[in-house]
Amino acid sequence: MLNAIDTIIIDGLSFSLPLFIMAIGGIYSERSGVTNLALEGLQGMGAFVGGLTAYVMAQHMNPDSQLPYYVSLLVAMAGGCVYAMLHALLCIRFRANQVISGVVINVLGAALTGFLTKAINRTVFGAASDRFVLSVSDRITVPGISKIPILGAFFTKIYPFEIIIIVIAVIAWYFLYRTRFGLRLRACGDNPAAVDAAGGDVAKTRFIAVMVSGALSGLAGMCFAYSILANFSSSIYMGYGYLAIAGYIFGNWEILPSLGACLIFGFARSAGSEIVLALGMPAAYSDLVMTLPYVVTLLLLVFLSRHNQAPRALGQTYDKAQR
Amino acid sequence: MEESPYIVEMRHITKRFPGIVANDDVSIGVKKGEIFAILGENGAGKSTLMSMLFGMYEPDEGQIFIRGKEEKITSPSYASHLNIGMVHQHFKLVSNYTIAENIVLGVEPMKKAAGFLPCVDRKRANEEIAALSKQYGLEVNPTDVISKVNVSTRQRVEILKMLYRKAEILIFDEPTAVLTPQEIDSLLRIIRNLRDGGKTIILITHKLEEIKQVADRCAILRRGKLIGTYDVASMDTKEMANLMVGREVALTLEKAPASFGKTVLSVSHLTVKNEDGFPVVKDVSFEIREGEIFAIAGVSGNGQTQIADAIAGLLPAAEGKISILGKDLAPLDIRSRARAGLSYIPEDRQTTGLVLDFALSDDLALRRYNREPFEHRGVRDQKTTNTFGEELIGKYDIRSANGVATIVRSMSGGNQQKAIVAREIEEDAKLTIFVQPTRGLDIGAIENIHRQILGERDKGKAVLLISLELDEIMQLADTIGVIYSGSIGKIAPASEFTTAEVGEYMMGVKHA
Repeated sequence: MLNAIDTIIIDGLSFSLPLFIMAIGGIYSERSGVTNLALEGLQGMGAFVGGLTAYVMAQHMNPDSQLPYYVSLLVAMAGGCVYAMLHALLCIRFRANQVISGVVINVLGAALTGFLTKAINRTVFGAASDRFVLSVSDRITVPGISKIPILGAFFTKIYPFEIIIIVIAVIAWYFLYRTRFGLRLRACGDNPAAVDAAGGDVAKTRFIAVMVSGALSGLAGMCFAYSILANFSSSIYMGYGYLAIAGYIFGNWEILPSLGACLIFGFARSAGSEIVLALGMPAAYSDLVMTLPYVVTLLLLVFLSRHNQAPRALGQTYDKAQR
Repeated sequence: MEESPYIVEMRHITKRFPGIVANDDVSIGVKKGEIFAILGENGAGKSTLMSMLFGMYEPDEGQIFIRGKEEKITSPSYASHLNIGMVHQHFKLVSNYTIAENIVLGVEPMKKAAGFLPCVDRKRANEEIAALSKQYGLEVNPTDVISKVNVSTRQRVEILKMLYRKAEILIFDEPTAVLTPQEIDSLLRIIRNLRDGGKTIILITHKLEEIKQVADRCAILRRGKLIGTYDVASMDTKEMANLMVGREVALTLEKAPASFGKTVLSVSHLTVKNEDGFPVVKDVSFEIREGEIFAIAGVSGNGQTQIADAIAGLLPAAEGKISILGKDLAPLDIRSRARAGLSYIPEDRQTTGLVLDFALSDDLALRRYNREPFEHRGVRDQKTTNTFGEELIGKYDIRSANGVATIVRSMSGGNQQKAIVAREIEEDAKLTIFVQPTRGLDIGAIENIHRQILGERDKGKAVLLISLELDEIMQLADTIGVIYSGSIGKIAPASEFTTAEVGEYMMGVKHA
């Protein structure tokens, strides 16, 4: 039997980690100089194509198979990546206002996936439904370690995606801080003219960075669909994308501090649910508790973000001809 | 084929931008191992010409030969491949990277982490930069972060960046604009050393003294056309100035002897703090009398702008007292201070000085639009505004395309500045503050502004001049206060200072 603290840790992690990988996506985009408010729409689009894939596959396969699960994560990354190219195209190629482009991506994503879900359900599956119901993901408990009090909770009932996220996060960290590509990417966000003068391609670097943010957001969206909702529906648009943005802003556009911020959000949320449960409050109050991460966001904003420094060239289109 | 005597040759280069011919049939040849200067006023096309050599633009007409071979230089990286390097006027540095990271950016030394993961070899980068810095006598610490080092160090980083890429032809675009006199000397020495080491140097500048000091030959450009290429040794600066401007110019202004009246501005024990509560102006006291130009000399960022802002009311004074003609300014807001007798020509003419998208007449009336006869009962009178604008345009020689209806953004920097000066001087205030009044202007416009400043003084006004241009201060000031790190170290009549001495106080080398 799990006690309350274990539950807080288990649920907190499964919420924090998708948030974290999405925040890394945001860091890639913004450290390259492209404002990315589109995370929300990108994760929704990822969850949509991933959810659809899993739903279709599940119809033709053994219900116990975990294959649709892994394929859907991959497809979600591809979907988010392709959808992000729209943002990249608008911001980099056509020099649109990056904030507006981001908002458009979000609104368009929510409307389009909502519509398509209903339309596909009706025409293809002959069902009047606004969601794709997903199979339940396996969860892994590491034998032995999980028995350790409190610490063991970090190894109990882990979603497989949590491990995938940690692996990808390590790779993303290495690329951003240790490789030639990462060095140039971060330079693009501070002074693109320096990269240009050094013979780098600012537009290409930024384009790739935005695509990475799409792929990572798509992955996050699919993880939310599996863990929190167990389906794809428009309730995926709960503002997780914005929360991820808050996460990396508190993390000062650096990967490790952003992990800290995302963990705080995740644990605030799961602790809130436990409190509702423990106090035996009516369900209506649980919605109130779900606002906890956002309240924490506000408080952190007031106290912590004063000294944070956004990338200097963030939001500026780069025009070679301008001197 | 005949061996060309030139390492760089540009033949009949023409480059047009919408509405302007930036270079019109310009031909120059640069010999290997010389310092070749390109002289011209702002907008004469110097930077455009060199940008084409560095691959930032392509010429519309004409050919470029490097080492006798015709080349189409389509990008900076191709220029770099031809061993051409450029130090831009605005440094192209990544502020949150270390010096070494900035230098190797684009040509990073790599290693394999854990035997197979490619990663940037910072250790080797640091070692290579340290060695290079030693070899050329360009002192930098490879691991310092750019945002924490001063301007002259940043410039050395830019030079090292070229050398790291094995550049043989080095272009410097207005390299001394941001430096103190000592730093300029040291830079010119570096440039000479580089030449003696076999590099070819192209120096873009509008400062005649520097050319005289280091250059072997110089090409003079005026309004996009080449006037000629000259041996520097055979000319004096006066001749060069005339060729550059196209008319007789006064290099030094006639200055009437000073006659001081009663004290106008009195600043005592002023302390100003920045957003973090750190004092940027520390216990500064001075007075300015009628008919006196008081100049504050200092390296950029030592608190001089904050002094001006505190007087004008743009920044709060943490401590101390500021008064004009005995009237305490502390309780007054910005507009009331202006009424009390204060005019202000701010440092940044485009963000603080002007509303760029307004018509010229409206910008000229910014100080008085809300007073009779410019408005009646809250309704503006455009006709009066326009008449006033036309009057000022004539009086101050403000040139624009459509007279008072010209949108200010489209005007040249010099004319924008003339407009601000006109507006502020017309207020007939007791005290006029000029902050960097000639920054980025060319000789003709500088001459105009300097005359206005002297005119104010001769009318018996008090003038506070804050400038980074030491020559300007030495030329205009009656009294000089040198600021270093927020404190004014020494205040004395200008006649008691030599340029070198002021420079030493500016660097904090010498203390009062």
